[in-house]
Amino acid sequence: MQRMIQFDQVTKRYPGGNEALKNLSFTIDTGEMAFLAGHSGAGKSTLLKLVAGIERASSGSVIVSGQNLSKLRSSQIPYVRQHIGMVFQDHKLLFDRSVFDNVMLPLDIIGFDRRDAARRVRAALDKVGLLSKEKSMPIRLSGGEQQRLCIARAVVHRPSLLLADEPSANLDRAYALDIMELFKSFHQVGVTVVISAHDETLMEDYGRRIIRLKEGQFAA
Amino acid sequence: MKHFLYLNWQSARQALVKILRQPFGSLLTLLMLSIALALPLSLYLTVSSIQEWAGRLTATPQITLFMEQSAEEADLAAVSSTLTKHPRIQSYSFVGKKQALSDLEKRNGLPGLSDGLTDNPLPDAFVVTPKTLEPHELEMLQKELSGLPMVETAQFDARWAKRLYGMVEMGKQLTWFLGAALGIALVLVTHNAVRMQILARRDEIEVAKLIGAPDSFIRRPFMYHAMWQGLLAGLAAWGLTSWLVITANPAIHEFAQLYNEAVQLRGLSPVELLVVLAISALLAMLGARLASDHHLRQIQPR
Repeated sequence: MQRMIQFDQVTKRYPGGNEALKNLSFTIDTGEMAFLAGHSGAGKSTLLKLVAGIERASSGSVIVSGQNLSKLRSSQIPYVRQHIGMVFQDHKLLFDRSVFDNVMLPLDIIGFDRRDAARRVRAALDKVGLLSKEKSMPIRLSGGEQQRLCIARAVVHRPSLLLADEPSANLDRAYALDIMELFKSFHQVGVTVVISAHDETLMEDYGRRIIRLKEGQFAA
Repeated sequence: MKHFLYLNWQSARQALVKILRQPFGSLLTLLMLSIALALPLSLYLTVSSIQEWAGRLTATPQITLFMEQSAEEADLAAVSSTLTKHPRIQSYSFVGKKQALSDLEKRNGLPGLSDGLTDNPLPDAFVVTPKTLEPHELEMLQKELSGLPMVETAQFDARWAKRLYGMVEMGKQLTWFLGAALGIALVLVTHNAVRMQILARRDEIEVAKLIGAPDSFIRRPFMYHAMWQGLLAGLAAWGLTSWLVITANPAIHEFAQLYNEAVQLRGLSPVELLVVLAISALLAMLGARLASDHHLRQIQPR
């Protein structure tokens, strides 16, 4: 089995001396679906940021689909991110453009053919159940819909790795389950999925690996 | 490749639409840029008009070589062959002593003057037209020619040519200086305009970076915005100078008539206009590039 993510003795120290991750080593296989659990401040977000190259490890190596991120120049990092889909807790949507254009952005960046791109965008919106709202502005969507829009944007360019940082944090349980089902369906078509959450009850139903963090280390 | 061109075309079009949609927002910047361009341009046109007029005036400065009275045919032939071979001489003509005397008679209305003279007191002469117009070189040439065998003197009235040349030269220097200073101002103005745009679109840039946009993608719309602004400013500056030429010319013409001269302020030629547009677009893009390189680095994630 190939490895999608490999951490070797990774430590992340923020300026000011706060150690978010302490000497962490683990791997996540290609095609795996894994959960990151722990209280806020345990290091879940930092771990995901290291995988996406948003932050750099202070020591140790982070290898994502064969690329050692610590050795890449910062100008090469964007191209690594183009193969990753990211779902953010605060959605990070652009409120000055329509639902459709929000989902179009990753395809514009990659340089996708315009006509194929429109088809892809509609397919992604259909998948998350927002096709009827493609012309709406994101501000008119509910919290759950905004989260699903963020997911559509994360998967529209068909990344091989999907990272979700607390995707269900602000949603009620029914919505949260909906979103988990969505992630499961991406996993079933071969996408490696890593989801962080502080609420473990959602994860346990899925019978997947749970990586538990506490103060930057594996929890017992 | 085709897609790359398409993307660039898209950015270029969108940037232009954005400028045209908020004409008043861009107007202030545009006005600053076009005035910054129009100043050195007007000076350039003035100087080159004066130069044109001065060139017509002096036509070409001439050096006159007066031979010694004792010069013989062989000496004349030697000088004449030196002049023919000289690299810095464009042409020359020979005025023999007999011709000089008859010219004098004709010009002064004194027919029979030569009859009263036992000897022709006038020397043989060469009138030399040099290739160069530069006073220093002319002086060197004059010295060199006066050193030729059997040449009595080489005459050249350098003083007023020197003064005019100096003035034109000073005007040129001033044009360069103003052009450079205001070119830098143009870079700084676009730098500032793009900086404001980047700060205003911080969120958008952050999101684009998070989902894998390389700097070139983020920079592209700003670069095109600057390019259009540079081009429009160039056109506006051309308009300003044309307006200056049209309004100032009658007055200049009237003034020059008092001195029986035909002086005209000229406008930009098509080639010059193209050069001005290219330079202003490039300088504006340089400003945009500097601003984006500096400020994109400050937006997380890096």
